[in-house]
Order: sequence, then structure tokens, then C-alpha cells
Amino acid sequence: MIKETITILNENGLHALPASRFVKLAEKFTSKVEIIKDGIKVSGKSIMGILTLACEKGAKVTLICNGKDEKEAFNALKKILKGQD
Amino acid sequence: MTKEKILRGVPASKGIAIGNVFIYEAREIQVFQTPILSIYLNEESARLERAIEQTKKELTEIRKRINQEIGEDFGQFLEAQIMMLEDREIIDTVKERIFSEKKNAEYIYHQVISEYAQKLSSSTDIYFQERVIDIKDVAQRVLKNLLGLTRTSVIEAPPGSIIVAHDLPPSEATLINPKNVLGIAMELGGRTSHTAITARALEIPAVLGIEGLLSRVKNGETVIVDGNRGLLVTNPSSSRINFYETMKKKTILVEKALAPYCELPPETRDGRHIDISANIEFFAEAEHAKKYGAWGIGLFRTEFLYLARKGTPSEEEQFKVYNALAKKLKPHPVIIRTFDLGGDKIFSNYREANPFLGWRAIRVCLEEKEFFKKQLRAILRASVNKNIKIMFPMIATFEEVKRIKLILNEVKEELKSKKVEFDEEIQIGIMVETPSAAILSSQLAGEVDFFSIGSNDLTQYTLAVDRGNEKISQLFDHYHPSVIKLIKEVVDSGHNGHIWVGLCGELAGDPLAIPLLVGLGIDELSMSPSAIPRAKMVLRTITIPTCQEIAKEALKYRTALEVKKFLRRAVHKNFPGIEGVI
Repeated sequence: MIKETITILNENGLHALPASRFVKLAEKFTSKVEIIKDGIKVSGKSIMGILTLACEKGAKVTLICNGKDEKEAFNALKKILKGQD
Repeated sequence: MTKEKILRGVPASKGIAIGNVFIYEAREIQVFQTPILSIYLNEESARLERAIEQTKKELTEIRKRINQEIGEDFGQFLEAQIMMLEDREIIDTVKERIFSEKKNAEYIYHQVISEYAQKLSSSTDIYFQERVIDIKDVAQRVLKNLLGLTRTSVIEAPPGSIIVAHDLPPSEATLINPKNVLGIAMELGGRTSHTAITARALEIPAVLGIEGLLSRVKNGETVIVDGNRGLLVTNPSSSRINFYETMKKKTILVEKALAPYCELPPETRDGRHIDISANIEFFAEAEHAKKYGAWGIGLFRTEFLYLARKGTPSEEEQFKVYNALAKKLKPHPVIIRTFDLGGDKIFSNYREANPFLGWRAIRVCLEEKEFFKKQLRAILRASVNKNIKIMFPMIATFEEVKRIKLILNEVKEELKSKKVEFDEEIQIGIMVETPSAAILSSQLAGEVDFFSIGSNDLTQYTLAVDRGNEKISQLFDHYHPSVIKLIKEVVDSGHNGHIWVGLCGELAGDPLAIPLLVGLGIDELSMSPSAIPRAKMVLRTITIPTCQEIAKEALKYRTALEVKKFLRRAVHKNFPGIEGVI
């Protein structure tokens, strides 16, 4: 399991479009993907879940990837959160 | 008989429509809970799957229509809606609860969606609150399909309809059939809303943002939509109907008479070519520009790219739009104006006392450098078509122009090092819309390839009048001698510096102003597409020496009224042929 707290640097925060990019990418991996913000945990493969976290730019979230391809998943997904995709 | 009432709103799409109210009710579908016997729970779950499948078909179909009719960049909200629809987490939760609670699919689905919507609406960020609209739009569609209902849809509007709604969900606005729908009136919405953009693309008059609209109209009654002035007239008196009918007839006659001018070149009678171009806001309008015979695009406003999605469009999204536009107009020029947005539109927590004198347009871009560079990169990449020019809004100082050029050069260097092609000779220009830029125009002319005078803002800033303020809006007048004098100053400085000078405010499409502007030496006039045939007709009637005389004389007057009276006399005396269109 990889777990790390990341500051969201994507310029609009996790708005619908970056959130859908995140979900589409997360679905490519078999690992379980989760995001925690302010103590609330949602699945990283659920766009509705992510939207309800209302992640603005500068928000701190914890990204958790757990599974066979957790390393690849984590590195790829981190990029979206950091606005580097 | 009930009295006539005039309701005010935002003029979102031009034109006059007289027709019968067709109320689009976005009433929420009522859901009831029903216990389900265990043996039927599998069927309940299958029903949900089918409804979702059906909804996906519908959304994909709408997405296809938007791509064809309005432009690909515009339908992206549907992409997000489809993902919300197919969210595995939600579907699985609903199914689990169908089995554990033994209740009907619509009830459980509605419950689950409401929980998500509740969480979203409690967010402090406006953007996330507004996504509730998308989620509810999707959910209502699913519920409709689960219950086998046919919701009222604007598709059903009979011929001669005026659609009246509190708000049209984005997926609904795209279903409007221009053959049956004459006009649109809504309680919500502004100039950049989905409905406004759809209405303009279809050339249907629309007035939006009318408070308390639904409580004042009934299905089937006759109303008038005045999209030019932003009015909705209910219970119109027969004299009001006559007035608008006559106006419509006159407009149609004039349009017919002017139609042949679409095809003719924009030249004065004595053969001087003046670019008559179009101001547009989104890609679909390029079609109108061509239809009305625009030379090129004199002003492509890019704000809607931002506002339509309430966020920065990616470089790729922007590139696609700029590139498609350049390709469509080739070899004629397309002038792209960089974001002319107020800081409050970009940062939801940013407020200021005087937005028009505040942090906006180029001032935001120079500070938010990455945001600015992203747009410049997209424009430069599209410039391989060799017909794109860049224009910067709200310039007030020399330093701003210098800083813009430094940033532009940085972007060019970055592209070169990545071996990305662009037009190395791309022309850059500035909007002259502050008195400062006008007064400083001879110094600025040495730095850029063209000027485009934004006469609306120039008038507002020169006369220090906010035209939106009803108490003082009568002070706002493009023909004010101070404004005319500044325009002359800018044209002269431009020509002394060997650069061309255009004008892209309302004044450009005003037939009374054209002889004056041409006489002052303007090289390009950019206006809303539908104003083009008339402008060409005027242009093809006038001659340069006479216009120069008129301009010289016009500069002597003391008030806007005197200037206008003089221009009317001059037209009457020299070019009586155009009196009918003024």
C-alpha cells in the first residue's frame, strides 16, 4: 500500500474535467484507489465521490493506492493532483 | 382584459419574436417507495441497469448533436455527466441497497443521489455547489427512464412557440428546434449561459434573467420577446403588437434588400478597400460571419471558453477551437483577443469595489503568467495556418505592452526549442479602449502591428460613465466629440507609425458612423455578423474625399447631439441612398 498526503496544485482544483480524467486513469489500474480529505474517504474510481470532496486548489488530500500495480497507479494519479498531466 | 406588462431581462440573442408561450417545466419527478418481494429483486436491479443504459444512449445522442451544431469544446459537460451516470460506486451502492432494503429501484436511486447532492451543495465553493445541477440533470433522466415517463421536452414545442422556463438544463437547450421555436425567455441565465449561446447559434431571439417570469405567464398566451433590448412583453396591446410586427416586417424587407451585399467586396464607391469583419464569441458563429460576407474575424472573444466551463480550458481544448476557426476562415484573418475577464470571474473569493477600474483582462494575465502562457501557446500553435493575429485587451501603459512582448517571446522560444511550428511573423495588436492608450498611441504604435479601437469601453472610460447604470446611461454616447477626437488621434498615430487601425465596438456597425470613421482613415471595421450587409451597402455608396470632408467638419462640434445632427445632414446631402438604412 502506498499512502501519501498531496497538496492539490491542479489550477482549478479537482473540477469535473480533471476529476473525470482522474477516474478514467484510476480505472486502468487493478489497485484499489482511495482519496481522503478532512477525514472523509471516497473511492478514486467514483467521480461523484471525488466531487463531493470539493477539492479546491491548495487543498491537502491523502492518496492511497493498494494492489498489484499500486506504484504505477500512484505515480500516474499523483500527477493529475499536482496539475502535471 | 389584463394589462400589458413589460418585463426586463438580459438581451442574450438578438431579434424580435411574437409567439405563444410554451412552458418548459423542470418539475422534479416524484418518487414513491414500494416494497419489493425478494424473488423480484433481481429484476429490480436489472431495471436499473436498463435505465442507465437508455440514459447513456440519450446523453451520447445529445453530445453528438452538440458536436455538430455548436462545437466539440462545448459538449464537454456531457462527458462529465456520462461519467456521473456510469459511476460504479453509485450503481453498486444502489444495487446493494435494493437487496438489503427490499425497495424499488427508483426510490433507492433517488435516495443515494440525494445524499451525494446534499454533500455537494454544502461545499463552500460555488463551482462544486453548481455541479448539483449536473447530477440532478442526470438523475432526473434516469428516473424518467426507470418510470417509463416522457418528460415535457422542448422538442414538443409546437410551431410558433416562445419557450418559457425557469432554466433549461444544458442537455435540454440543445434540443430546441428552430423551425418551431421563435424565441426564448428564462428566469435564470446570462449572456454566456448555455441557453444564450445555443440561441445565438440558432439565431433565435432570447431574453434571459427575467425575475419572476413564470408567475406572470400562462401556457399558450401571446408574448413578445425583444432580444435587442432585453424585454419580454406579456398581454401585449394591439398597438404594441402592431409596432413590433411593423418593425419585424421592416427588418425582413431591409434584410432582403441588403442580402445581395453579402457577396460584394467591402469597398467604397471610389474603390478603397476597408476590411469589414465580424465580432464573434464561439465557433458556430463563424458560419454566420461567412454567411453575411465578413472579410475575416476582427474580434474573437475567448472569454466564453472560460465561462462556459467555469474554469481554465486546457491548452489542447483552446488549440482545437483556434485551429478550427483559422482553418474555416483561411486565407482571411482571424484576430484572437486574449482573455478579457474580471479577476472575480477567475477567483471565486476575489472581490473589488470598482471592477471596471480593477484587476481584469491583461492585468490578470500579466500576473497569472502560466494561465496567460497557456493561451498564448494555444494561439501560436494554431498560427501555423498563417492567418491568426493576437490582440491584447485593456492596455493602459507602455510597460504592459513591453511585458506582454517579453512573455510572448518566452513562449515562442519554448515552442522553438520543442520544435513546435508556429507563424514566426504573427501580427500582434492592442485594443485601444482606455483614454491612456489613445493618448499614448503614437508611442505604442512603434511596439505593435495594429490597433483595434474598442469604442464601447473607450466611451465608457472617456466619459466616466457606466452605461449599465440607468441613472446616468444617457450620458453614454459614442458620438461624443471627446471620443471622436480620441479616435482621430489613434488613427493618425497608427498611420504615422505605419500600422493599420481598426475599430470593433458598436460604433463600427452603426451606418451613421461609417462615413465619419472612413473619413478619419479607419482601415477595418468589425461588427456583429448580421450588421455586415448593411455596413457594406453604406461603404459601397460613400466616397473617400467626401468622407474626409465630413470627418473634418464633424470634429468642430461641441456636443454628441450636434455631431449626430451634422452627420444626418451630411448623409442627406451627399449620400441620400443610405438614409433608408440609418
